[in-house]
Amino acid sequence: MADIAAPVPVVRASFVARHRRALLGCLAVVAFLAAWQAMFLVVPFNPLFITKPSLMLAALLDMLQTSELVDALLASGAPFCFGLAAAVVIGVALGIVMGWRTRVGYALDPLLTVFYASPLVALAPLVVVFFGVGLFAKTMIVFLLAVFPFIFNACAGTRAVDRLLIDVVRSLGGAERDLYVKVIVPSVLPYIVAAARIAVGRALIGVLVGEFFAASEGIGYAIARFGDLFALDRMFACILVIMVIAVALTEGIRWAERAAFPWRIGQ
Amino acid sequence: MGAYIEGRDVNLTFRPPSRAPVPALRHFDIDVNEGEFLSIVGPSGCGKSTFLNVLLGLLTPDAGALSVDGKRITGPGTDRAMVFQEFGLLPWRTVQANVELGLELKRMPTPARKDISRRLIRMVGLAGFETHYPHELSGGMKQRVGLARALATDPDVLLMDEPFAALDAQTRDLMQVELLRIWQETRKTVLFVTHQIDEAIYLSDRVMVMTRRPGQAKRMFTVDLPRPRDYEMRVTRAFNDLKLEIWNALKDEITV
Repeated sequence: MADIAAPVPVVRASFVARHRRALLGCLAVVAFLAAWQAMFLVVPFNPLFITKPSLMLAALLDMLQTSELVDALLASGAPFCFGLAAAVVIGVALGIVMGWRTRVGYALDPLLTVFYASPLVALAPLVVVFFGVGLFAKTMIVFLLAVFPFIFNACAGTRAVDRLLIDVVRSLGGAERDLYVKVIVPSVLPYIVAAARIAVGRALIGVLVGEFFAASEGIGYAIARFGDLFALDRMFACILVIMVIAVALTEGIRWAERAAFPWRIGQ
Repeated sequence: MGAYIEGRDVNLTFRPPSRAPVPALRHFDIDVNEGEFLSIVGPSGCGKSTFLNVLLGLLTPDAGALSVDGKRITGPGTDRAMVFQEFGLLPWRTVQANVELGLELKRMPTPARKDISRRLIRMVGLAGFETHYPHELSGGMKQRVGLARALATDPDVLLMDEPFAALDAQTRDLMQVELLRIWQETRKTVLFVTHQIDEAIYLSDRVMVMTRRPGQAKRMFTVDLPRPRDYEMRVTRAFNDLKLEIWNALKDEITV
């Protein structure tokens, strides 16, 4: 006689249990803001030196009502995107060549490591001297900061390519070009996405620093200007916007990573 | 008149940078007939895989002549294909895309590719798994993909480098049966490298024993067992006598 299994009641975990991680993360943020706000119940508040979350929020809403904030973000978005795009293209190409051609790698590694390790933002004034104030200078600074993670990750990814797969493609009649297209680039893609997570942060720094030095518009320029004007509520509102964008971009890439490489689940 | 695959006095020494050179093959001779199933057994590191890589065209010998069907081997060619021990499937490609890799490299148009891959996926028993990724497959299934990929370009010679060594014992037995069935369907010339004497006898027309490194042909055994072969054959007197004979030829070469 066959056993008939009793239906097992499906117990769905509560909303809190399912989203524990995200909720705890948000809780910490809220607690931080609350502590910041509450601090001024005991400490005297001087709007020239500091602001508080309630004023920051009011400033943010105020800036959203005019096109001020959106205009600044758009002005900053262009050099951010151009610089990052150039960094991907040039960084990945250079990194793959360095990883695949051993001698090129040996030759360029020390030089690039010096640049990567040094605070490149120190070069920002020099970029202004060379390229003036404007879109090109800002793009240049973003590129300089963002390109290195792509170079080093693409290089490491290329060196880690499974030699067996190279042999497979060669044995089936693949030429050098096929090795790049069929094996090396797909192997390196996850490394590039990992690099993008780092590079986005550096590119944001690049935009801000570039606009501190070399701009008359943009979110970085806005932060610097509000700072000069002691409009700390507005300045912090802009910083907050930058933070939210940074988190959104990083998490977006993380999500894209999981979605784009289903084959990596088993690795 | 030479044999179908002919190797004469093949020599190859590996010269790793800043280390002592390693002679892998020395005065290696081999003759394989068309349509034959020939196995090569030998101690670990004797150069048997090296020889397959030379025959595949991935390694160039220092000296000696090697030809398939009278044509000297100068590099990889579509007349030969390899089934690798560690499968060598591209992890970002589905089963079907993996099988079609060689056809893609030959710039075959998509519809023709599809016809061939469908047929071969069915032949190796993976119908229904076309859109699966390698990590979703068992070891045996992965090697079925490896076999289908090697067969896709319709080579004359199939090189198999310990193809079932990474599989568990039962899967291995099953894959041997499958391989014989597919070999009988396709009638390729097969060179099969293995450590297992049982496997070599069960599959082959002839079994070559190699010496320790640097590898040389030591003795050739003819397997006089009727085909089609079945699993029971492994427990017959004739099978075990031959196994003992091959073992005796092999054991002097093995150093622990």
